[in-house]
Amino acid sequence: MAYLINPEDQDLLQTVKEFCEKEVKEQCKEFDVSGEWPEDIYAQAAEMGLNALEVPEEYGGPGLERLTVAALMEEMAKADAGFASTITASNLALKAVLIGGSEEHKQHCCDLLIEGKHGAFCLTEPMAGSDASNSKTTAVREGDEYVLNGRKCFITNGGVASFYVVTAMTDKSQGVKGMSAFLVDAGTPGLSTGNHENKMGIRTSNTCDVVFEDCRIPASALMGTEGEGYKIAMKTLDMSRTWVGCGAVGIAQRCIDEAVAYGKQRITFGKPILKNQALQFKVADMEIRTETARQMVAHALTLMDKGLPYSKESAIAKCYAGDVAVQNALEAIQILGGYGYSREYPVEKLLRDAKIFQIFEGTNEIQRMVIGKSVIGKF
Amino acid sequence: MELLVCIKQVPDDSVTVTLENGAPKLDGITPVVNAFDTYALEMAARFKEEHGGNVTVLAVGGPEVVPSLRSCLAVGANTAVCLNESAPCDSLGMAHLLAKASQKAGSFDVIFCGVESTDKATGVTGTQLAEALGVPVVTNVLAVEPVDGGVSVKQETEEGYRTIEVPCPCVVTTVKPGYEPRYPSIKSKMAARKAPITELSAAEIGADAAAYGPGAAKVKQVAVAAPPKRQSGVKIQEKETAVAVSRAMEMLAGQKLI
Repeated sequence: MAYLINPEDQDLLQTVKEFCEKEVKEQCKEFDVSGEWPEDIYAQAAEMGLNALEVPEEYGGPGLERLTVAALMEEMAKADAGFASTITASNLALKAVLIGGSEEHKQHCCDLLIEGKHGAFCLTEPMAGSDASNSKTTAVREGDEYVLNGRKCFITNGGVASFYVVTAMTDKSQGVKGMSAFLVDAGTPGLSTGNHENKMGIRTSNTCDVVFEDCRIPASALMGTEGEGYKIAMKTLDMSRTWVGCGAVGIAQRCIDEAVAYGKQRITFGKPILKNQALQFKVADMEIRTETARQMVAHALTLMDKGLPYSKESAIAKCYAGDVAVQNALEAIQILGGYGYSREYPVEKLLRDAKIFQIFEGTNEIQRMVIGKSVIGKF
Repeated sequence: MELLVCIKQVPDDSVTVTLENGAPKLDGITPVVNAFDTYALEMAARFKEEHGGNVTVLAVGGPEVVPSLRSCLAVGANTAVCLNESAPCDSLGMAHLLAKASQKAGSFDVIFCGVESTDKATGVTGTQLAEALGVPVVTNVLAVEPVDGGVSVKQETEEGYRTIEVPCPCVVTTVKPGYEPRYPSIKSKMAARKAPITELSAAEIGADAAAYGPGAAKVKQVAVAAPPKRQSGVKIQEKETAVAVSRAMEMLAGQKLI
């Protein structure tokens, strides 16, 4: 079972699947060890237009349906979750621009993605992760410019992006209502990036600090109006969470694929281990979880398509799929036994890759707060 | 230059084909463009991008070959032509149809064919096409460059490589070059869905009914058989090297191999 995508788009799915199978899956193993950013693979992906999958048609993009993009993203995450995270992070920055940016901002970022460039969304700070309102980065208006100062951390694509969506406080006294969002181009004096994080998983994605030291940007870089930054960021995350869930589903599916392939050929006590009901049940549970997570992703995307509220469903999709990816990775390791624990086999990487899906883009605890509040309401 | 690439749709050669009632069981095997034809198309597309011109792809068959033509349009071909003719042909019959269809479709300087197909692998259609057109042919080609009045081609031989200059029009049959065919982009794939495909019939191209089809075939298929299973080898288990070697020599002598 998979996403029920438009039959016309099946050829795209086939193309991306083939590309991921031949050019990403095996190659990324080496980069998982080295922690290097696989520039050539990303260049090939950009050539195919994978950076611009979510660029709307009116800005020169392919104008694909959300479910089609989800099916393509799942294939990418199946091959390598770090690879998919890089693409998702660019689209996260794009979403913020499409939500809060001017027409010029939108066209500029869409053009960059179509050219094969990357974007980064800079919200998190050392003391402002789940508590995003505790941001210390400031933007001070001076004539026709803003001057940015502060440090963002754990920024996916931080070191490779061509454009950055940055939140900063324009009026600290107003709390979250004093937060604004800006579009900053790479290469702007005063913008620098820190060391690439040596991460547990998704090691083929670039993650680093993004630092602003008297970084002067034109006033036209402001997205929306002053004080709208928090709202733009939260709306962006609401939408992007479903896509993170989609990546997690890709990992969960890969866990099933690896466990089944191994379990069919591994003989113990004279028969393949998958002839044992105990393991058949494990596989069944992995499948139940994955398919329900996938359909939750599809449901949240359908709500977006129809212009209906999707905040709770998006949080459920991200939270559940993230948990499922971790559970499936643990089970896949269990099915592979000692080999599952070895780096010679692919499943230990899946667990390392899966864990971040319970943490980034709002921890699963934050998602549960969103879901809980949505169900309970104000009382 | 005007370039033509003849393509054949074949069953995916990465899948093991089994026999059922004396015929290959092809149900459920995805049809793909013959691998050698994809190399031919990539070579032609690179030639066009470097030196200018147009690339046309030509396939023979029913509506089932249209997806293959569209996939070629997504990776460098400008136009596609489908000859609607599904009569089973031997390679001579196919060469006749390709020759007539290519003459109808345009005036081509270089016609690219994969050296062989991955299904029947007769490896002669390209040369027979050149014969039917009365033009020169170079086989096992790795690269094509333009020169005055023709092209210079790099041919792979048993010993190494040979560079040959050949006047246009000509046919080249391509082997695998040192690069892979490109992947289509999302947008090129979507654009190819809407691209027009020129459809021709055997009557329109003036095909000679006596020159193609099952009745005209010079090659008849007698039977289809799976290759015999590899016999398990003999293991020499003597521990002493000298004894093992003399045992091996005895066996080879016994088989009159030495």
